[in-house]
Amino acid sequence: MAKRAINDKCYVYINGKILGYVKDGRAYANEIRTARRGGVLSGEVNVSYVKKLNAVHINTDSGRIRKPYIIVEGGKSKLTPELIEKLQKKEVDFNYLLRHGVLEYLDAEEEENALVVFKEADATPDTTHLEVDTTSIFGFTLNTSPFPEHNNAARHAMLSNFIKQSQGLYATNFNLRFDSRAYLLFYPQAPIVSTAVYDAARMQQHPSGQNFVVALTTYYGYNMADAIVINKGAVDRGLGRSMFYKTYTDEERRYPGGQKDVFRVPPPTAEGYLGEHAYSKLSEDGIIEPETTVEEGDVLIGKVAPPRFLEESISASGLEEKIRDDSSTLKAGERGVVDSVVFTESTGATKVVKVRIKSLRIPEKGDKFASRQGQKGVAAYIVPQEDMPFNDHGIVPDLLLNPHSVPNRLTFGHLLEEIAGKAGALSGKKIDGTAFAEKGSSRIEEYGKTLEENGFDKFGDETLYDGITGRRFKAKIFNGIVYYNRLYHMVSNKLQVRSRGPVQILTHQPTEGKARQGGLRFGEMERDVLVGYGASLLLKERLLDQSDKATVLICKECGNIGYYDYIKRTVVCPIDGGTAMSEVEISYAFKLLLDEIKSMHIFPGLKLKE
Amino acid sequence: MADKKDRFIVTTGEPVGVIAAQSIGEPGTQMVLRSFHYAGVASSIATSGLPRLVEIVDTRKKPATPFSYVYLKGKAAKNFEDAEKVVKKISEVRVNDIARRILENFSKGTILIKLDDQRMEANELTAKGVASKIEKLTKIECSASENAILVKTHTKNTKQIRSMAVQIGKLTVNGIENAGRAVIKQDKETGEFYIVTNNSNLVGILGIEDVDSSKIYTNDIFEIYRVFGVEAARNAIARELDTVLREQGINVDKRHLFILADAMTLSGGIKNVGRRGLSGEKESIFARAAYEETVKHLINAAAFGERDDMRGVTENVLIGKQIMLGTGSVTLAIKKEDLAKISEKKGKK
Repeated sequence: MAKRAINDKCYVYINGKILGYVKDGRAYANEIRTARRGGVLSGEVNVSYVKKLNAVHINTDSGRIRKPYIIVEGGKSKLTPELIEKLQKKEVDFNYLLRHGVLEYLDAEEEENALVVFKEADATPDTTHLEVDTTSIFGFTLNTSPFPEHNNAARHAMLSNFIKQSQGLYATNFNLRFDSRAYLLFYPQAPIVSTAVYDAARMQQHPSGQNFVVALTTYYGYNMADAIVINKGAVDRGLGRSMFYKTYTDEERRYPGGQKDVFRVPPPTAEGYLGEHAYSKLSEDGIIEPETTVEEGDVLIGKVAPPRFLEESISASGLEEKIRDDSSTLKAGERGVVDSVVFTESTGATKVVKVRIKSLRIPEKGDKFASRQGQKGVAAYIVPQEDMPFNDHGIVPDLLLNPHSVPNRLTFGHLLEEIAGKAGALSGKKIDGTAFAEKGSSRIEEYGKTLEENGFDKFGDETLYDGITGRRFKAKIFNGIVYYNRLYHMVSNKLQVRSRGPVQILTHQPTEGKARQGGLRFGEMERDVLVGYGASLLLKERLLDQSDKATVLICKECGNIGYYDYIKRTVVCPIDGGTAMSEVEISYAFKLLLDEIKSMHIFPGLKLKE
Repeated sequence: MADKKDRFIVTTGEPVGVIAAQSIGEPGTQMVLRSFHYAGVASSIATSGLPRLVEIVDTRKKPATPFSYVYLKGKAAKNFEDAEKVVKKISEVRVNDIARRILENFSKGTILIKLDDQRMEANELTAKGVASKIEKLTKIECSASENAILVKTHTKNTKQIRSMAVQIGKLTVNGIENAGRAVIKQDKETGEFYIVTNNSNLVGILGIEDVDSSKIYTNDIFEIYRVFGVEAARNAIARELDTVLREQGINVDKRHLFILADAMTLSGGIKNVGRRGLSGEKESIFARAAYEETVKHLINAAAFGERDDMRGVTENVLIGKQIMLGTGSVTLAIKKEDLAKISEKKGKK
């Protein structure tokens, strides 16, 4: 039986709602398209014929993602050489082309009906559209990366993320801004190897990276598995140096009942007073002064608030109203200098203070760097310049990348950028790395030629000497210039240590998370490991002694938990009033469990053995 | 030699169960990530990988894809024609397999089975033979024509006729019931023929003369348990686990699998690894409550005034006592006071 369409009638849907049916859906769809191109219908109307369902879908609603294409008819682009000339003379513009049926926007559904070619030369009589530019098959972020057509698609996903995470000159008015977090690179450079989209977006005016001299070589064991080695000399000269800004904000809130917060140095009588030392850096108005060096625990904004509960203020004997300290302190592990302080007003007409802290971030071990090719790495060693390898010219690389990073990841773009960057630096010209740019494979020869003209090897290989022994490396080392981004993942913001610290109120177990100075959870699977080793005392130490050990009194008669009566100076069992008790060490979590079981009307008695 | 052997004996207090669980569990996590499917003959697809592993430890009554290997003895193992004869005896043929259509006639109270000539021929069956078989199994009168069978139901109840027609379609007219379709295969090394079926009925197959009863195998663990007993079932569990893991390129020491299989069959039956089996039948209330259905266990324990002796691992970790395993398995044999007495006595002497 021949395959037949599900419906003999071709239904027409407008924005998903059924409108009626037509005999020939394809012809109907084409009719609508002609009308749109002729200006009879709005250019925002998209139509598609779905062959599988024999239906026509017309979409006019908002929220569709659309993309412009050049219309092709009979294998010929509607964007004729004459029009291109007019465009260059600025006699016509993009909107003119849209109105005159040269360009049109397609949405995802209509794209299914289109046959699109990259180049006009590839067009056949069946072709319906031509890409405006070949780079438009990639997104914006990817198009700022050079040579994306030479990389693995999996790397594209990564590099698009890295580019967004890089520190740079994010805004030229950074000094006036109070972003809650901001990263500012000290000496941002425009990349030597740039792309058309990068230039068109004027990214070179606020770049987010620097051109690094990169040698593809190992450095003892220091750059294994995505670790990178950086030249300390370069770091001292400002490579990757950046400033981290963080803004602390506080507000004089109003409460029902006419009470409000007050910015001031809290008096020692305030509830939760942190001690005289913590407020020592505040000025008279209770706010810290600019250019003050601050450490963790220092108060930045002194503030007092009314008590949380109404009774507290009433029950307070004496004339003085009870107040609570609600100051903002610098978080644990942070340090820096107060950069700027601003007083403003909120929409609710309350006083607002913003304090911006700056802290210098010199590249250190543990900071993350990435090229625009999805090659990320963590600095593992900042080598003194005299210990770094150098070449005949005395050039010392800024960064040593392990050659194992390249082959299985197929980031040929990285290698290409190295040579291109080197050629660009030697010739003093910017190199175009736009995706699918003209000449393609002959690029490498072009760069090689430039290198040779300047007395370098055409493949980018150079003789390097070990900085420590002074010996010449047996192999020639591939090196060049790659644009690297310093990503905002820096150890100094993530470092966390705990030996003793706060515990949770409910369970008496250590807190979790960096903000609460927490520990790392010794979980169920970790517990199983100690059980597997039979390390019974180590297990007890981890789970009891270093966690929620509690000493409780257990009644020898009924097995209930008792307490010490300080007035009578004796131990008491609350059930039978007995005084025969023994002290037992249990986990507080177990005491909690017993309490919860009791709340279910079950009495859990403990029978003790000597 | 004896010394060397002794060195490999597990130390007293070694938590072998935990080690076994970790040894099976860790590679198990990798299995989920790389589950691959074979493209090939549709009939040879057996459940494998994680779904099969779950099937085994959950002790499903019937595997999703049961199969059995039937080895032959004597002439049948060497000769293809003889092996084929055994296949004819085993391979299950149902009415549905040979019928072109099954038609009910509600007004006359009859069911007409139209037979497919090709399939009848392939199975070497005659309409008469099939009819007598149906008669024998259902005790209902049947008459056979050349390529059709008429079943006279003696009832005009539509519902009854309908259900009868469905049941008749499922009747086994040739071969062994529930044995499944049988296929001959040849062992590449010995050149002997053996039979693979896509279901399993050990009792039925073992009744056939040319079958080597010492080598028969099925992946249906409960079938093995019913026919050969727990010991065999225990070995089957271990072997099936081993096969599944090996297929995935995971190498787990057999002793770990034996521990698991032993734990599952310790009671004489087959227990699963879950809240209705091993974990749900733990002695300690706290250990059970810590696993699943916490409140149920606590309330039951309260209702019956149960007592927890705190002898297991979980409950001791919970209250914060040293566990009685590994270094914690040792206790004092002599009390301090008694020790003093002993030394006193020694002093007197």
